[in-house]
Amino acid sequence: MKHFTTDIIIGLEVHAELDTKTKLFCSCPTKGSEEPNTRTCEVCLGMPGSKPVLNKKAVEFALKLCLALNCEISPELIFSRKSYFYPDMAKNYQISQYEIPLGKDGKLRLSSGKEVGITRVHMEEDPASLVHPAGMKESAYALVDYNRSGNPLVEIVTEPELASPDEARDFMKQLISVLNYLEIFDIDSGIIKADANVSIKESGYTRVEIKNVTGFKEIERALVYEVNRQKEESKHNKKIEQETRSWDSERGITFSLRKKETEEDYGYIIDTDLTAVEIDGRWLKEIKKAMPELAQDKVKRFVHSYKIKKEDAGIIAADKELAELFEAAAKEVNPELAARWIRRDVARVLNYHNKKLKESGITAKLLIDLLKMAEQKKITDNTGKMIIEKLFFEPFDVKEYVKKEKLEAVSDISELEKYCKEAIEENPQAVNDYKNGEKKALNFIVGVVMKKTKGKATPKEVNEIISRLIKI
Amino acid sequence: MATNQFIEKIKNQEIDIVEHTEKLIEESKEINKEYNYLNIISEELALQQADSLKKLIKNKDKSIKNKKLLGIAVSVKDSICVKDVESTAGSRILQGYKPLFDAFAVQRVKEEGGIIIGKTCQDEFGFGGFSVNVGIGCKVPLNPFDKERSCGGSSGGAAGLSQKLDGHIALGESTGGSIVEPASFCGVYGLCPTYGRVSRYGLIDFANSLDKIGPMGKNIEDAALLIGVISGHDAKDSTSLNVKNENYESYLKKPVKGMKIGIIKEAFGSGVEREVEKNVYNGIEELEEEGAKAEEISLELPIKYGIATYYMIATSEASTNLAKLCGMRYGMAEKLEGSFNEYFTKVRSNNFGDEVKRRIIIGTFARMAGYRDAFYLKAMKVRTLMINEYKKAFKKFDALVSPTTSILAPKFSDIGNLTPLQHYMIDLMTVSPNVCGLPHLNVPVGFEKNLPIGMLLTADHLQEGKLIKLGSAVEKGK
Repeated sequence: MKHFTTDIIIGLEVHAELDTKTKLFCSCPTKGSEEPNTRTCEVCLGMPGSKPVLNKKAVEFALKLCLALNCEISPELIFSRKSYFYPDMAKNYQISQYEIPLGKDGKLRLSSGKEVGITRVHMEEDPASLVHPAGMKESAYALVDYNRSGNPLVEIVTEPELASPDEARDFMKQLISVLNYLEIFDIDSGIIKADANVSIKESGYTRVEIKNVTGFKEIERALVYEVNRQKEESKHNKKIEQETRSWDSERGITFSLRKKETEEDYGYIIDTDLTAVEIDGRWLKEIKKAMPELAQDKVKRFVHSYKIKKEDAGIIAADKELAELFEAAAKEVNPELAARWIRRDVARVLNYHNKKLKESGITAKLLIDLLKMAEQKKITDNTGKMIIEKLFFEPFDVKEYVKKEKLEAVSDISELEKYCKEAIEENPQAVNDYKNGEKKALNFIVGVVMKKTKGKATPKEVNEIISRLIKI
Repeated sequence: MATNQFIEKIKNQEIDIVEHTEKLIEESKEINKEYNYLNIISEELALQQADSLKKLIKNKDKSIKNKKLLGIAVSVKDSICVKDVESTAGSRILQGYKPLFDAFAVQRVKEEGGIIIGKTCQDEFGFGGFSVNVGIGCKVPLNPFDKERSCGGSSGGAAGLSQKLDGHIALGESTGGSIVEPASFCGVYGLCPTYGRVSRYGLIDFANSLDKIGPMGKNIEDAALLIGVISGHDAKDSTSLNVKNENYESYLKKPVKGMKIGIIKEAFGSGVEREVEKNVYNGIEELEEEGAKAEEISLELPIKYGIATYYMIATSEASTNLAKLCGMRYGMAEKLEGSFNEYFTKVRSNNFGDEVKRRIIIGTFARMAGYRDAFYLKAMKVRTLMINEYKKAFKKFDALVSPTTSILAPKFSDIGNLTPLQHYMIDLMTVSPNVCGLPHLNVPVGFEKNLPIGMLLTADHLQEGKLIKLGSAVEKGK
């Protein structure tokens, strides 16, 4: 038995859909008509007599992932039949991989810097989807839609090295970032699911499997629930059983599916309808050449060539769109300034609305216009923030807007002084308080000036002027 | 009439293609009443094909000129899909399954002007050697020379019909000997090609790494003609070989002088009926008279482990192939009730025959964790060793020779009483070439008690040409 050093042990099996145009073993499209059973043929319906033919593009995509995860790559791609009876299976076996996965012994770095071992990466076909018209429990029957049947999937299995639900979430997030960078996963409509193995010290590390969790936020929720459940039960001296549980996202609980006495026997045999595909050095070299720079490499490069903070670089590079936005901006304005604005303001607005950059009105050109004005102190930080918030909803000409709304920063000292003097005259009480040693009173007067200038002055400057005018 | 003469007569309209087809359909019906060779007679499809070909012939359409099978009737083993024609592989569980597509071999036959006349009966999914394991509700085909005897199997209907119906060639299929063995019992030529030579697209799988489609016919010319039509690379079957297609007919009636033949020592003697042995030796002598040189050879591994290896691989693969048949998407259905597991069980229990159930159980067992290494994976390794031994033999010999089966076509009443040794010997020679994907040919070499006897010739991968050459030399000597 492995000696565990952490109180919580989590391992993940993640399934992600590869974003190919056609299915893994036939030429049916992976996207298009949502009318049930319209994107099907004799192969993905498992009709007697039909035979699978491998989609090489899907292999290329899976190889990209193996390379990005630093996996050792098998010299041959061999498919096996995983046999079990289930109504969503067109053939009652799934074409998957068994003895020799495409990739093994890889790793993925979490945002904390911790490396998580990847046991294996393999390819398989997606089953059909089951539709329960009146909900899973109540329906007297289920309908089967084979549109998804045969879509290409990759399965990524981690070592049991994740020590908390938070780490599991971060792992998923980093993995999605890699998939997105490689352009092998459709971040908008692609499905990513995970099964998690979780055990805690209190139970003597009895393994419980949670099935069918979709997305990285859900994985954290499900694991937090499950860890707490196991801790609670252990506290009350209840035995944690080795079992498979399902995650009910709506109710926010896990529930027992089946007790696990033995491993399920899938009776794997090699699928001899498919010949072994040789993965030679030349092919791998071509794929490597075409691979984009990944987030973790980008962080290093951003820090090195743009001299921005590692923390900023990390947040920007994790999102491919933000990284591209940053690189565009860094060419036009001071990179540090660009990094600060993108990390602090653009990311904040997007997070707040839970949207992606391309779903907002913020474009590279408009942001650069804005950053240029900020760099030249033509607008204040407050004005900049306000404009970004506004840009989120729809694009507009930033320069024109600043001019029209008279938002240029008041940089003329004499004009600023005029506002400051007014404020001092209008607030004798505050001036007196300040003179009597109440420092906060100064902030009040600065606030009055900011209001008068509609945020077009920088608080620092106003502060200096007022301090100068009210000589103690 | 020789096939090429017949095609000429169809082309110059001496023979009317529609009338001829109608006549053959009538004959088939008559034969079927007595012998049960066809599960389905595809009269409508045949006449449709004949009609549209007739128009082309009348208009002297250019496309007619090179059609290699113009007007030739071709029957298709039930396990090979014909578009819109019920294709059940002889099983009740597939009753009502009308494929949406033609098998590659069928498509090629149609392209060359061959007329599809029907689906020939077989052991259910190919599980048997006497065509007595036909599916529930199917009829057992009877030997064309003695109705109390078996046609052999599993391509029993194809072999019987080839013997009985002139002007017809059959598409058979072999997993462990299902082309040559019934060919031997029915006195026809059966050519099982190299694995991958003919696309398996559209073949209802028995064992994916063993299944081969091949021609069966009353003379070697017909077999050579049909194999030429159905061979060739097919992108829809990943195991289809991408090699240049040959002109197989060019091997007919060519001298065999100097060719070397290995007589498989273990295939003669104990367990082999004396009449069989005698006739096969006669066949070998004929080849020697034509100038071929024969010499004994021992094939240890294939003889010792061929059958065990075959059963492990074939049943393992078959048990996964048959899993899809559960009454959900096609074929037989039962009343919808209970859980999906209960429903699948009901469909499979009621509609699979006993032999099918037996093989599913064996195959599932051989794949189970804890047994895979000892059975399935070991069988895969032994197969490689067997191929190596054959390859060594083919460095010295052009072809290996043995009886196709050790016995004459058995009486139905005797099949249950065959001794274990006889049973074993019947498959002994046909199984190993199948396991190793080697091309092999049944050549009729004589009659005893009015029953035909066949000689088996096996060649190295892709050497079908040598088999045709040798088979043609024996035919010439007759």
